[in-house]
Amino acid sequence: MSELRARLRRWREAVEDRLPPRWNRVLAGVVIAIGIALPFFFPPTSGFMNATIIAVAYAVMALGLNIVVGFAGLLDLGYVAFYALGAYSLGWFGSGFFFKARVHVLVSPTQRTLAGVHLNFILILAGAALICALAGILIGLPTLRLRGDYIAIVTLAFGEIIGVVAVNGQSVPVGGGMTLTAGNLGISAVDQPYIPGIGQFNLLDLRPWYWLILAILLFVLFVNLRLRDSRLGRAWIALREDEIAAVSMGIPLVKTKLLAYSIGAAFGGMAGAFFGTYYTVVNAAQFQFGFSIFILAMVIIGGLGSIWGAVVGGMALGYINNYLIPDVLNNFPSHFGLNFQLTQVEFGIFGFLLVIMMLLRPQGLIPERRRKLELTAKIAAEDAQLAEVPGTAPGPS
Amino acid sequence: MRPSTPIRHPQIRRAPARPDTSQGTVATRTISPTRPPAAPARRLAAVRRYAGRWGLIVALAALPVYYGIHDLVQGYQAGVVAGHAVIHHDLANLGNDIAQGLSNGAIWALIAIGYTLVYGIIELINFAHGDVFMIGSFTSVGLWGVFGLGLTTGALGLTWGLLATLIITMIVTGALNVLIERVAYRPLRNAPKLAALITAVGFSFILQNVGLLWRGGSPQSVPDLIHVQQTVFTIGGVQIQRGYILAFGVMIPLVIALGWFINRTRAGRAMRATAQDPEAARLMGINVNATISLTFLLGGMLAGAAGLVYALYQTNIWFFQGFKAGLIAFTAAVMGGIGNVRGAVLGGLIIGVIQALADARMGPQWTEAVVFGYLIAIMVLRPRGLLGEEIREAG
Amino acid sequence: MSQVDAPAPPAAVALRAEHVTKTFGGLVAVKDVSIDVPQHAIVSLIGPNGAGKTTLFNMLTGLYRPTEGGIYLGGRDITRARPDVITSYGVARTFQNIRLFGAMTATENVMIGHHARMRAGLFGSIIQPPRVRREERQTRERARELLDYVGLREAVFDRLASQLSYGDQRRVEIARALASEPRVLLLDEPTAGMNPQESQRLTDFMRQLRDELELTILLIEHDMKVVMGVSERVTVLDYGEKIAEGRPADVRTNPRVIEAYLGRQE
Repeated sequence: MSELRARLRRWREAVEDRLPPRWNRVLAGVVIAIGIALPFFFPPTSGFMNATIIAVAYAVMALGLNIVVGFAGLLDLGYVAFYALGAYSLGWFGSGFFFKARVHVLVSPTQRTLAGVHLNFILILAGAALICALAGILIGLPTLRLRGDYIAIVTLAFGEIIGVVAVNGQSVPVGGGMTLTAGNLGISAVDQPYIPGIGQFNLLDLRPWYWLILAILLFVLFVNLRLRDSRLGRAWIALREDEIAAVSMGIPLVKTKLLAYSIGAAFGGMAGAFFGTYYTVVNAAQFQFGFSIFILAMVIIGGLGSIWGAVVGGMALGYINNYLIPDVLNNFPSHFGLNFQLTQVEFGIFGFLLVIMMLLRPQGLIPERRRKLELTAKIAAEDAQLAEVPGTAPGPS
Repeated sequence: MRPSTPIRHPQIRRAPARPDTSQGTVATRTISPTRPPAAPARRLAAVRRYAGRWGLIVALAALPVYYGIHDLVQGYQAGVVAGHAVIHHDLANLGNDIAQGLSNGAIWALIAIGYTLVYGIIELINFAHGDVFMIGSFTSVGLWGVFGLGLTTGALGLTWGLLATLIITMIVTGALNVLIERVAYRPLRNAPKLAALITAVGFSFILQNVGLLWRGGSPQSVPDLIHVQQTVFTIGGVQIQRGYILAFGVMIPLVIALGWFINRTRAGRAMRATAQDPEAARLMGINVNATISLTFLLGGMLAGAAGLVYALYQTNIWFFQGFKAGLIAFTAAVMGGIGNVRGAVLGGLIIGVIQALADARMGPQWTEAVVFGYLIAIMVLRPRGLLGEEIREAG
Repeated sequence: MSQVDAPAPPAAVALRAEHVTKTFGGLVAVKDVSIDVPQHAIVSLIGPNGAGKTTLFNMLTGLYRPTEGGIYLGGRDITRARPDVITSYGVARTFQNIRLFGAMTATENVMIGHHARMRAGLFGSIIQPPRVRREERQTRERARELLDYVGLREAVFDRLASQLSYGDQRRVEIARALASEPRVLLLDEPTAGMNPQESQRLTDFMRQLRDELELTILLIEHDMKVVMGVSERVTVLDYGEKIAEGRPADVRTNPRVIEAYLGRQE
């Protein structure tokens, strides 16, 4: 069996060697082009487009968490906190929630008449990123000296605390009769994005929403790709691999870890703000622990530390969760005479997926570039060892 | 030998002849008399250590002390007589809260022991443990139906029925825990910790879904078989309810039995040895796999017992109770010192009290945040917990 | 004792530990040890296993904080400095059990060594203006030069560190340490696992490092041939205390040293 696998691998590499060296970039370019053109093949309110928008937003989230868990190796189980903060950034600064205020910046004519704080969505995106970056630093600070599993628990605790604050915020006054959040009922009159020149988005036409989230994805993807092959990206991976060796080589522990937390959080916040406006409501029920695990699963199934893996994982799970299970396969069990719907076993399927992935393919669908090197290099290493010169000590030979 | 090529490095130049630096030194030197220790460095380290432990104790005592003083000074409403509120200025209210908290805590303690045993032996946070507890509750309630236990069952029938339920539930949950270990954790024993943690979470979700399908998504009330709220006796104004006796009546014997097992039997010794150093244990002929399975079995059994007690005590079960309980129990285990059974019990009791006070005085909607706030405080002030050993960070 | 930012006078002593003690709970790992490493010298630190040599190294590089005592780098007090700061001051080390970053190539490992000397920050890394690109390119070239300098075959420059042979891994570790442009190099048992030929080659290489790169070298060693062959001075630790110090030939005949190695009554 492993013979066959080895032979398949060798064949695949031979093919890859013959392809033009820009192979990956061309593929990426083609995928992006398809991505941009996609809406033209579907009606403006198609269920598939809805699912795709959500899937792409999940991919943005997964990319954010990938920086924290994948690059820097910090086990964050409370990522939902940044989803919440991002969404609330929208709820606070892009709706009529703070009804005593009257602030309008670059919003549509209709929105300008409304009470509350109304900033342009792009500004809110930036604001959400900033708020979450700060939150990421605050959440990361207590974890700096802790071991892996303890980081998981502390971040989980923070995630839960934010959830509790979200629910109870409806009884926390912030002055003028306004409260911090609207609890489980939610902040519902949130603005839709308005781009001067294009107009205000509405849910009858999903196309602008799609291009907006696609643009956000491309931006986040760009930043990720740049960071991965930079001084900072290397520092993250070094910290992940061996913290002691990393600091001994001159990598500042605190600064590097906090940067990972804050940048990862910023991306989560941006996606959160988008979700807030797309779902048209920001309520506390959206911010449960299960969500943190959901995003973590995307990163892991896609491939821990792998950028494209995070995108694939994010979109795959997004589709499965929001399209495949509820829309397409929901009645699957009844075909077998079983008395429940698929959505009722969502949790269980998801858990099962996690277990299977870890047991069978822990490196994920698209392993981190370096891990892939590891797998292919094994063959080369075997060959090289035969040819190695004996008596090899450091020093000129 | 390849001629050495100097690196194209701005600092390199051909060095002049080196002076012999060894000549200046005395041929051999032995130790010089000790200089008085550098006080500042040592004092600072000591201060940090004390701040850690006492800081934590102060933080833990804060709630009871604060509310005790509040009750004594401002008083609390103990009842209404002829339309007027009766204000008492004593510690009975606080006492009741603490009594309630301690018995809640007994349940958390049983679950926390499971976490601490497993973490002590394989350094894994068994995320699914809380849900094993939940399955324990569900199994117990199911068995009540099987045995026909209800509100009309006589005392003798109840006693035997519940005893049988306890034993069967413990067997079921123990076996479940062992199964999870075999299927999910053992294959990943040499994989990075993240993999096992994720698998644990996966199993947690699977179990929750089982609970969801079994009894639906909302909390289910179950018959109050032993009339838990009935006061048995009163001490200094503090009512001791049947539920409290139940909780401690189950916890104390089980903890004592566990302690005896770990300290007095060969298998228990094997557990301790494996927890200290698995490799050495293996070399001594200990079957590490079996020992780990045994640990999971014991932890699972205790969780099952906790599940039965919870069902009787709360008269309410819910598929999601395991997740909540799991986090609280894990906080307790960490607070007491992960890996330390006595610590888990202590932690459980303390967390129970904090939880009860938060429920009663701040409102149950904030309790979770309070408990997790304490968790974070422990991690910051004293990660090794109250009774734990030093967590060494450097390699 | 000395100002932090005073320009270091052309000190005769590159690195100094003064009455340094380290206790872990009840265990005294290092007790009142003082050691001077003269500029551009090669000094060996020897002693039986468990004598506290690596603990002393860890204090010199900032991984442990001394319970008592002080550490000085050319006049600058680095006792309480963070490990990464100490590296930026010019102290680099290798580890007893090789600690390379397995998920990175040999080249990338060495590039990491240069981290403290690079300037690219967060936004520089994202935007990558010409300055940053140039820095990356130079760092990469430099890394390859260093790998070549330590004798690694070019064919394995881009091999994952975890795939390299033991000897190659040791080379990469040294190259990585050199990449931080140190003034002082701490080597922890660099010849462990080597045969006599390889050890000899490493000994020559150490001299080369001292001469060509103007380094000061402090090494922990068990191989007496290497110690005698390359050191200008030898310091001996036993049970955490310094029991002898001086020229190699003198230390070798010191009765306390002999007793520590051979005749320990249990």
